[in-house]
Amino acid sequence: MKNFKLYSYIFLSAGLLGLTACRTNIDNPKPSAGSVNFSRYIAVGNSLTAGYADGGLYRSGQLNSYPSIIAKQLQKVGGGTFTQPLFTEAQANGSGYLKLMGFNPDGTPITAPVTTNLAITGILPVPGFGNVTLYAKYAGDNNNYGVPGIKLLNITYAPYGNLNGYFERLLPGAAPTNSTTYLDYITAKPFTFFTDWLGNNDALGYATSGGSGDVLTDKATFAQLYTLSISKLTAAGQKGAVATVPDVTSIPYFNTVTVGAVLAAVQKAAPAVQALYINALVSGNTYAPRIATANDLLVLTFPTSKMGVPNDNGYPYGLDPRNPIETQYVLDVNEIALTKDYVNSYNTTIKSIAGANNLAVFDAFTFLNNVKANGLIVDGINLNSNYISGGIFSLDGVHLTPRGYAIVANEYIKAINSKYGCSVPLADVSSYPGVKFP
Amino acid sequence: MRKLLFLLLAALPVMAFGQGFQVNLHGQKQIGMGHTGTGLLQDGASVLFNPGAMAMLPQNYIQAGISPLLFKSAFNPSGTSTQFNNSNQVATPFTAYAVWGPKDSFWKLGLGVYTPFGGLTNWGNNWTGKYSLESLNLKAIYFQPTISIRLADFVSIGGGFVYNRGSVDLTRAIPVANATGQDGQAELKGTGKGYGWNAGVFFKTESNITIGFDYRSKVNTTINNGNAMFSVAPSVQPNFPQPNTFTASIPLPSTTSIGLGFYPSKNWTLAFDANLIHWSVYKVLAFDYAKNTPALQDTYSPRNYQDAVSLRAGAQYLASSKLALRFGGGYASTAVLDGYVTPEAPDANRYYLTGGLGYKVSNHLDLDLSFEFEHLMSRTQTNIESQLSGTFKTDVYIPGVSLAYHW
Repeated sequence: MKNFKLYSYIFLSAGLLGLTACRTNIDNPKPSAGSVNFSRYIAVGNSLTAGYADGGLYRSGQLNSYPSIIAKQLQKVGGGTFTQPLFTEAQANGSGYLKLMGFNPDGTPITAPVTTNLAITGILPVPGFGNVTLYAKYAGDNNNYGVPGIKLLNITYAPYGNLNGYFERLLPGAAPTNSTTYLDYITAKPFTFFTDWLGNNDALGYATSGGSGDVLTDKATFAQLYTLSISKLTAAGQKGAVATVPDVTSIPYFNTVTVGAVLAAVQKAAPAVQALYINALVSGNTYAPRIATANDLLVLTFPTSKMGVPNDNGYPYGLDPRNPIETQYVLDVNEIALTKDYVNSYNTTIKSIAGANNLAVFDAFTFLNNVKANGLIVDGINLNSNYISGGIFSLDGVHLTPRGYAIVANEYIKAINSKYGCSVPLADVSSYPGVKFP
Repeated sequence: MRKLLFLLLAALPVMAFGQGFQVNLHGQKQIGMGHTGTGLLQDGASVLFNPGAMAMLPQNYIQAGISPLLFKSAFNPSGTSTQFNNSNQVATPFTAYAVWGPKDSFWKLGLGVYTPFGGLTNWGNNWTGKYSLESLNLKAIYFQPTISIRLADFVSIGGGFVYNRGSVDLTRAIPVANATGQDGQAELKGTGKGYGWNAGVFFKTESNITIGFDYRSKVNTTINNGNAMFSVAPSVQPNFPQPNTFTASIPLPSTTSIGLGFYPSKNWTLAFDANLIHWSVYKVLAFDYAKNTPALQDTYSPRNYQDAVSLRAGAQYLASSKLALRFGGGYASTAVLDGYVTPEAPDANRYYLTGGLGYKVSNHLDLDLSFEFEHLMSRTQTNIESQLSGTFKTDVYIPGVSLAYHW
């Protein structure tokens, strides 16, 4: 009996030990590139492509750019190495960026700029243009051609390498001697696959400046340049994916500081106030003051401290038609309609040219509008288009968090898989953080 | 003055119960025979399987057993080539029964302490489903004093009162990153209690077939003042006031069983059991927090479970006067509808195979060994609430041992 007890003890413990070695496995289908050659993937685009976030381009944002996330997944189906023009560790904060410091008692966020370990090398005054901030040059191999601020309009403009510090840092020459166009730069080295998300700034620049600091790129020019760029990118039969231009009103930059909220705050101190006045577009280039409605969008950066401050004639700012909120802080109803009309035209162009060239399309316009309308639940995370709390948009209210970029990468991958019949595995959205809270 | 609606949609911890939480390890002899026993007279485990059979037991029993359980799940998020496995942890469901009555009397008293529901799983804090669940340790221990009466040579009845002491410890990540990008953490920990009953009837027929019916009632278990611990970045911590408590109520479902015993020869016993588990009582899971904020609201999650069925069969062969060989198996349908599968217990239809050895150490002492392999079919799901999408597959390995003293 003693032996039996011993044996059963051995049986049990040996059994348990043995069992811990077993592993339950799921037979998942092997990822496959299908007929697509992913060996050298390049990413063409603007700030979103560069990994810009929190109002700046910095190393950690670059490391979480959507092209780098896509590339990581492509590597599971034969994709090659993907090199980005990273800022060095010592200059990791790149251009500088906004950091969340905490919250005021009323729940509004406190942000502060990061000003250490920057990669800024100087300021170049360009006659007739203005000051251009220059950054430490990047000389190595490059797969991520995202240049913050670039418009489709700029891609064939030879002096552009002297006017945009983010482009200048990628070129071998120093400003103001550069004459390589963006389109020539990105097509100089052979590649097998590309993503292209250009066109946002052709509308966004106008919108974020409240319709005053920039102009919308002409529709026909947009179509002509888009056709040209795609023909160059597909010249050797390359496959690729393009993205549409989001509806500018789908981003928190225009939906956080609202007319209603500003009015309510003013009324707390001055209950007699009935309305806000804005300088709004009438038609063409004619602006006139009028009462603001909920359909007029104030920009995220609107300095609310200006409210009620009297001008020389004693009229309080924003509360009197003789001292309205300036147009650069408002995207009014007419400006919204104008922007939407242009964006729709750009997107029609993008989709038709993509169709004609057998390219995958990530419809960012539809996707972000859906997120704004319905929110998005991924892996148990409730996401939406709200500023800070939404989890998708970074502190500048325009660009994305790493989590937001991972979602974008997956939308690209889904579009690529469905267009080309390949099965590139999706990225794990839950492993990328949203806004970081102190 | 950027007016900001600061609403953190905190995906709050919710607990799920599934068929996966019913633990059917109620006696080594019965496990060996595919979990049959409602219609048999094996030993003191009749306290649970069918209190009605107790009075028919030829002897008195004191016994205890343990069935260390390894629940091994894998998860493959949809559209990826990644696989996550939960970590190796050994749960320890146990049983203890005592049955006593005067020699040849028409009645017997019994006491059972057993673990009919529970779960132990740990997926870690780096997996895709971390916002649904990181780890769970759930235990329900039933205490059941019982009485059984033999009404006639061919029929006996019995019933017992059930007191449940339940405990839960659940952790989950909160999708709010701190300055270094780490997630917030939530832990819900508490104990609760509930009451129910267990009653059965047992027949010996003239055609040498034994039949048992048993009904184990629903046990509504309420956790009052459990600890609700939330740890997030300091700037958002006020949204998750600490300390905080929660109250939650969970209906542990009733089980209706019928069992048959056949005795084709002196050495063979064949048994069949069918169970209906009334999971449909489990409609919602609600958590009530003592302190609420806009970010920390009470939760109300639909579960909408369906009743589940399990069919079991087993056999025992007496190889000698000292040695019994047992084997069996069964099939159980899932209680969880499509869209409601969660990583707490990634439930699916399942089958199981069991085997066992019984050895008479002496006239009064039985030593029983059992082994069970359980396979939950692979199930590809998108959870309605969390949108967690992927394939779950689980294998369960359960060795076990018990000692029964009888006189």
